[in-house]
Amino acid sequence: MAVHKISVKQIVSRVRQVFPDAPESYIFNLINDALVQIGMYSTKPVQSKMSTVAGQMWYKIGDGAEDSSENALEANKVFRVDLMDNSDDYIQIPRLIDKNILLMDADSSESALITPDEE
Amino acid sequence: MASNIKYPESTARWFIEGDKLCLITKVDSSGNTRTSARKQWKAISEAVTDGILLHYYAEPNSVKSLNDDIDLDNTMHLALVDYVKKCLYMDKSGTSVDGNVAAAAMQMSRMHEKNFNDAVIRYGMKKRDKTGGSRVLKSISLR
Repeated sequence: MAVHKISVKQIVSRVRQVFPDAPESYIFNLINDALVQIGMYSTKPVQSKMSTVAGQMWYKIGDGAEDSSENALEANKVFRVDLMDNSDDYIQIPRLIDKNILLMDADSSESALITPDEE
Repeated sequence: MASNIKYPESTARWFIEGDKLCLITKVDSSGNTRTSARKQWKAISEAVTDGILLHYYAEPNSVKSLNDDIDLDNTMHLALVDYVKKCLYMDKSGTSVDGNVAAAAMQMSRMHEKNFNDAVIRYGMKKRDKTGGSRVLKSISLR
């Protein structure tokens, strides 16, 4: 037995039972707004791999970030990070609560650093 | 390519600042612990393809066409419809010239807003949780 799915078309038809004149593009926008809202509450757990770069301390995980297969990360909340060991196994590494580390790498290889906008 | 780090759990740490992940280790590119006490924790010293495995909650895919399926667990479909109706009733309330229609539309908007908040925020975990069965309290062994 198939799992019940719902398409945009079905949502539009449900909404138009009450709002027959609602523009389709507007309903699209509202659906996407709702997806962003619902996405904030741990609905879609995902695992993805990133490559490490020698000497790079910061890695982008924002809206434009990609994993090592060039797929968009689309990360909302990271809850676990594993690092590959010398046997090709992924081992969970602890999250640092105190972010006040003494040394901060900020050389030219730090591609994820944000520099001020040019005038 | 495997990493040279033998015990990542004790020699690597991560944290998040804004939309960036910070990864630091206290070993050099050969996997030996750095000797400098002050500058022990630094950026990783080696490039490893697929070296990091991230576990995270991602954003559902946006919709672009009428035939797209909603990228959500089907327990959340009703909440999505509630959100859309909430907004449309709010628009209707704001644009209606008849005070009674505006009040009724606002009431409907609030009802759908409550349904959305209940489904997503209040009972969201209960709806999405795939864990089943009764909870068991396991006593400690006294041996």
